[in-house]
Amino acid sequence: MADESLFDFLHNEIVNYILDKDDNKSNEGKEEDLSILEYIGFSTGYRIIERLTKEMPRFKDELDTMKFLCTDFWCALYKKQIDNLRTNHHGIYVLQDNNFRFLMNLSNGKQYLEVAPRYVAFTCGIIRGCLANLNIMCLVTAEVQNMPSCKFHIQVQRT
Amino acid sequence: MRSSVSYILSSSTSEPNMSHPDYEQYSHDHASLLVLVKHIGTQLKPKVFSKYFDRISKLASVRITDSTGTVRNILLRYVKEYPVENNDWGDFQTHRRLLGLISLGKYDSQQELNEICRVHESFKVKYNTTLFDSRCILFGPTKDSESPSDENPTSSSSGDSENSSENKIEKYTTPSNFKTRALFYDVSSACLDLENQLNEFVNSLFWVLDSKRVERSREKLERVSLLLAPFEKKDFVGLDMESRNNKKRCTGRMTKHLGDLYLQTGLLAESITYYSQAVDILKSINDWLWLGAAYEGLCAASALVLYPDMQRNVPLQRNASLQEGSPRKSSQTPPAIGLLNKKTISNALIPEEISKKYREAIIHYSKYQNAGIIETEASFKAARITVEQSHALQAASFLQNVVYINLQLSEQEKIQRFETLADLYSQIGFCRKAAFCLRLAATRYVSPQNPSPNWSRCYALMLQSLSGHHLNLDPVEMRAADQGWPALQIQLIQELVVAARRTGHSALATRHMTFLLQTMWPHLNSTEQKELAVQLQSLSAQCEGSPVPLVLDSGLVVPPANLTDIPLCAAFTPKDLQSHLRPRRIESNKQDTGPFLFTPIHFGGGGSLDRRSRKSISKLDFLWVQNEMCEVQLKLVNPLPFELKVSNMRLLTGGAVFESLPETIVLPPDVPTSLTLSGWARESGELELSGYSTHTLGVKSNCRLRHMPVSSNFPPYYKVQVVPTLPILEVSTTFPTYVSFSNFQDENTVTSASVSLYHGESIECTLTLKNISDVPVEMLDIEINSILEHSLQDQIFKWDNEEVQKLLPIPPGESIGVTLLFHSAANFLAPNVAVSPTIPQDMSSGPFSSMSPSIPGGSLPSRYNSSFRSTNSGQSSLAAGLTSLFQQQQLSTSVEAQLKLKYSGSEGLTSEYCRSCSVFLMLDMTPSLQVTNWDVLPAETHSQFYLVLDIANLTGQEMELQYTPTKTMLIEGHESCRVPIPVDRCPLSKLSGLYQELNEGNVDARNEIDVNKICSEHITDLVVLKWHLLGSDNRGVASLKGITLTSRMLDIVRMSPLDWEVKINGDVVKAQEEVTCEAGDCLNLKMSIVNSLQKTLQQLTLSVQFYQDYENGTLNYRMDTRLATAGCTKKLFSSLEPQAAVDHECNVIFFTPGYYKLDIQCCAPECLTAPKINPLISQGHVWRFTPTVSFQVN
Amino acid sequence: MAVCAAIIGKDNSSKFFVTLNPDEELHFQYKVLSSLDIIEDKLATGTKGGADTKELYLGMLLSLETYKIYGYVTNTKIKFVIVVDSTNVVLRDNEIRSMFRKIHSEFADIVSNPFYIPGEPIISKNFTTSMKNIMTGTV
Repeated sequence: MADESLFDFLHNEIVNYILDKDDNKSNEGKEEDLSILEYIGFSTGYRIIERLTKEMPRFKDELDTMKFLCTDFWCALYKKQIDNLRTNHHGIYVLQDNNFRFLMNLSNGKQYLEVAPRYVAFTCGIIRGCLANLNIMCLVTAEVQNMPSCKFHIQVQRT
Repeated sequence: MRSSVSYILSSSTSEPNMSHPDYEQYSHDHASLLVLVKHIGTQLKPKVFSKYFDRISKLASVRITDSTGTVRNILLRYVKEYPVENNDWGDFQTHRRLLGLISLGKYDSQQELNEICRVHESFKVKYNTTLFDSRCILFGPTKDSESPSDENPTSSSSGDSENSSENKIEKYTTPSNFKTRALFYDVSSACLDLENQLNEFVNSLFWVLDSKRVERSREKLERVSLLLAPFEKKDFVGLDMESRNNKKRCTGRMTKHLGDLYLQTGLLAESITYYSQAVDILKSINDWLWLGAAYEGLCAASALVLYPDMQRNVPLQRNASLQEGSPRKSSQTPPAIGLLNKKTISNALIPEEISKKYREAIIHYSKYQNAGIIETEASFKAARITVEQSHALQAASFLQNVVYINLQLSEQEKIQRFETLADLYSQIGFCRKAAFCLRLAATRYVSPQNPSPNWSRCYALMLQSLSGHHLNLDPVEMRAADQGWPALQIQLIQELVVAARRTGHSALATRHMTFLLQTMWPHLNSTEQKELAVQLQSLSAQCEGSPVPLVLDSGLVVPPANLTDIPLCAAFTPKDLQSHLRPRRIESNKQDTGPFLFTPIHFGGGGSLDRRSRKSISKLDFLWVQNEMCEVQLKLVNPLPFELKVSNMRLLTGGAVFESLPETIVLPPDVPTSLTLSGWARESGELELSGYSTHTLGVKSNCRLRHMPVSSNFPPYYKVQVVPTLPILEVSTTFPTYVSFSNFQDENTVTSASVSLYHGESIECTLTLKNISDVPVEMLDIEINSILEHSLQDQIFKWDNEEVQKLLPIPPGESIGVTLLFHSAANFLAPNVAVSPTIPQDMSSGPFSSMSPSIPGGSLPSRYNSSFRSTNSGQSSLAAGLTSLFQQQQLSTSVEAQLKLKYSGSEGLTSEYCRSCSVFLMLDMTPSLQVTNWDVLPAETHSQFYLVLDIANLTGQEMELQYTPTKTMLIEGHESCRVPIPVDRCPLSKLSGLYQELNEGNVDARNEIDVNKICSEHITDLVVLKWHLLGSDNRGVASLKGITLTSRMLDIVRMSPLDWEVKINGDVVKAQEEVTCEAGDCLNLKMSIVNSLQKTLQQLTLSVQFYQDYENGTLNYRMDTRLATAGCTKKLFSSLEPQAAVDHECNVIFFTPGYYKLDIQCCAPECLTAPKINPLISQGHVWRFTPTVSFQVN
Repeated sequence: MAVCAAIIGKDNSSKFFVTLNPDEELHFQYKVLSSLDIIEDKLATGTKGGADTKELYLGMLLSLETYKIYGYVTNTKIKFVIVVDSTNVVLRDNEIRSMFRKIHSEFADIVSNPFYIPGEPIISKNFTTSMKNIMTGTV
């Protein structure tokens, strides 16, 4: 499983790099600037989705797309499926991963909770990028209450 | 869709076929009665005619109750033209028969009336085979040429024509052979009963038709003759008419014909039945043409049931107001009928079947070449139904079929075909296909085959096809959308340019070409770019392009296009004013910037992954001044391979009023050229620099930054704050300028002044400030900047600020002079003299000691806007000795400083802005003289001492030195000499404070220094060395500032706090006097000490000690064998009150002759009162009796 | 053998266009452009249901006298269009379909190329060669 670990390590290093760079600039903002990390995710998602949907039939609707995201897509990325998908059928989707890969090795409780955003920003970007390429413009936020469980909130922007 | 057996049944001969396709047909037209509305004569204006045509057309359906009480809905179709050939197809499809004729004409005379009637009759003859009835609407002469108003024909005529003509218009009557019902109206009237008349007319048509229907339906089907399409006539010659097949054929065709008639007379259900029967019969005998027609009929009838409201677009009622008075009854089909139909008529086809059957019909038609037009029309009709069903793909396939039908058509008909296709394509949302057809239609208008090219139509159609090609005539939106099929777009715009030019719209042609070059520039290769640019040049020669919207006759507005890429702008940089002209805030209070806001997550724009576009800052951080030339620097590149002349380049601005100066530039190919555009802001406030205007290739363009290619990364505009008018001062000095480079000269420097002075010399410089602006200078601040300490700086540069303020304000054009005094301050003391290492900077200031540790070497940190540079930086460790001094004396020191002028006036001052400029001052300081060594000697009097100075003349000239008010001496160049200067001793009053402290026990190391300092200042104050260089007549004053004294010297310099009186053998010892005695003599020493301090001295020890000075530096205190003393040599006084005196006596005998000295000293041990912090320094103070008493023992 | 292939972006602008005969490019651009109407219509009606519409391959869009135009739309709404000579009977639906699959693979590769910014026209010699190979059936 060397390849998987490689992905984890690379991700961790990217996170560190971004934070380092942020430190060097100015630390006036209270919150860490994870936008670059998010953008890296966005770009990745935007590109990878072309490959991952190649063999897929055309998605029927938004929900169909979300289901794909939870199953095939998540498997391709994290070797597991999303554990729970909920929606209000009005453009809000909540994807819950009870054992999120990037948090799995960090903690098993509330320790390090304050650094959790660093490890979900990339994935938020990926989701947003994928959906953007699938012509669903959305806002993606993540919520971590108890590691390694993570909830991704997708808020579709209707025009 | 095309039958694979196309044309097999068609003869190739040029049989009479329908040569005039009617693309406008709807399937509903199968059910309508065809009426020709004809415009007769030239009197009636076309506009009026079309107004009436529209009005007539509104009566599209009429409800007629038949004898059985059934309400029949009769549809009508009005046409303006109807080729008589088409009438021939009336047997094939009865709706092609022209049933009614309405002609409209205007007359002014009987003669004209007759002519109208004649023409009308001729039309009746032309269509006589099918025509049932006709009406002639006649507009009489207008009132002024007519009879009184009661005779106005407007009110005419529900009666027959004879009546109306007799009653109303006596003068004009229709000819007697005119058998048509004439309706007389006045053109300007409302023609209120027109609708009634038409209704009646339709009724008459209907009844005739219905009677025919009844007649036909009663015929025995077996007996009927064979119905033929026009081209079939020849085919059936000689055929066996009695054959079974033929019978069937007759029957089938007649059944179909009946279907047509039932349909036209509003009996839908019956017609469907007949059609269905006909289909069955015709199918069995492979009568494909008629089978097709039967299918089509079936579809038409079903469509009428399903979509009764399907209608051709009602033409826009431009004259709606005119028709307001007209009744609108029964002109529209009530929707209720549609619903009724659907319920009652059950045998209609379902929607899916309709298009399927149409498809079959078209396939059948396609087998006959001569039925091409029928097929084309059927395709259009089918497409229209599918449009109604919103089956875009099916519609598209029907329309696609049209293109394949090979027809011998006139160019005009071909164009119409494409236009109709385009219309239908756009109805189904196939805007690209529509655009394609429009473009084809447009090219047909001007194709070489077209005998009468129509460029303006071509142009109009081209315009319409733009949207389908994602082209928008507004370059701004084009830039924003950038939906590229550039190759096609380029071709289309080029065609548009040609069309516009051929139409005679040079302005439009220029505009479109400009648009092409603006929007498609990146997609053009360099050859195309060049060619198009040349074309543009020739186009614009006919009509110059300018950035204003063009309004076409059609009301379409063509937005301006600009040549943003010719020349290409590589840089657009607003320039700050020259440093010395920059406005500055007078009060540089730190602005309170609100709370720091930080948005952590930045979302990339939508789905764009382009990281290249970065926002550049648009708000510039500098200021411009009203009425002062501001500049923007452009870097332009001519992308064309020939020289490009760009004239009238100006800045485009917004916000504050700006006057721009036009520039003209000739750009060689492909070489970046810089250009400065300038102008004046005529108003203070915020100025937006949004771009520049050009005039090149004959086109005036406004090149706005926000419309520039994204790649150039310009902000949409630059914002500059313009501050109100400020004055400008021109500064000059009486001194020569300093030419060489100095890092102390910043960009703020307007002029410089340099002068060379000997140390101690002073000179005046006049600074002339001339106000060269139009506003007065009301504020002026002068300040000097250098890295010198303030005290030294103030010594070197002096001016009278109050005097300066009195000169204000400086009116425009006037100038003032400010006197500036330069003094070459220096340390005249050679540094090799031992000085206390703890001497602070301010005492040893001057060029030699300027190597403060904060300035490493000679390089200055750039943040210093003023600096001090010493050229002899290497000599910080000056070696002692004159030789080295003379070697170095060539190296003069320079002081560099900035004279900073801050000034303001007028409105600029009220808004707290000023300008600041600076004058670079360069002061070369050459050493004049130097005190290489000094010492103090007790003087003959107690109140004075001698300051002995070794003075070196460091110049090459002879120097006259005046060292006391009365004494002068000459020193040769590079010579040194020693001068004694009598100086008053430093009075105790200057030192009293010190002793006060001393008494309180706050003693520390500083005391010594303080004493030193006080004494040093004392000497500095008193000793003035005036020198005069005889050769160059330079005069100056050297000061001893910073002179340091050893503690021995100090004791001499300052007045002793103790008044001494020493008597030897009763004689008072005088200074500089030797006591002579014989060996063995006993000398009585009597000392009395008076405390002249303001305080009591404690634990005062008086000691007497003899010694011998070998004058080789050795002092011998071991006098045991040489002399003997009687009495105490040491005596302790526990306290000495102020002004109190103590005495001490002792005796001495010298054993051997020699030279002896006596040292009498008093010691007050501070160490007793002060804690022993530093025993090395606080040894207590010792006062000596000076000078020491010398004894010459013989 | 296909005579023309095109890749059209989300915004219906041409991202890549190649014809075997360069002289015919403009001519084909018009054809492909008009076929977009049909693609759009198919996509619009396709979402309403129907089993076969779930396939990315849209089938034949237009059959002109001399050419047949086929379409394929990815999940990301990128359109691929292939123009085939009508006289060519070798190419059946399945061949066309596999041709599109290959194009899709190539496209997914180019999107993964960090130097390609999605949404920009594709300018790549390598890609052009691959596309030509797919069109001529040499792969």
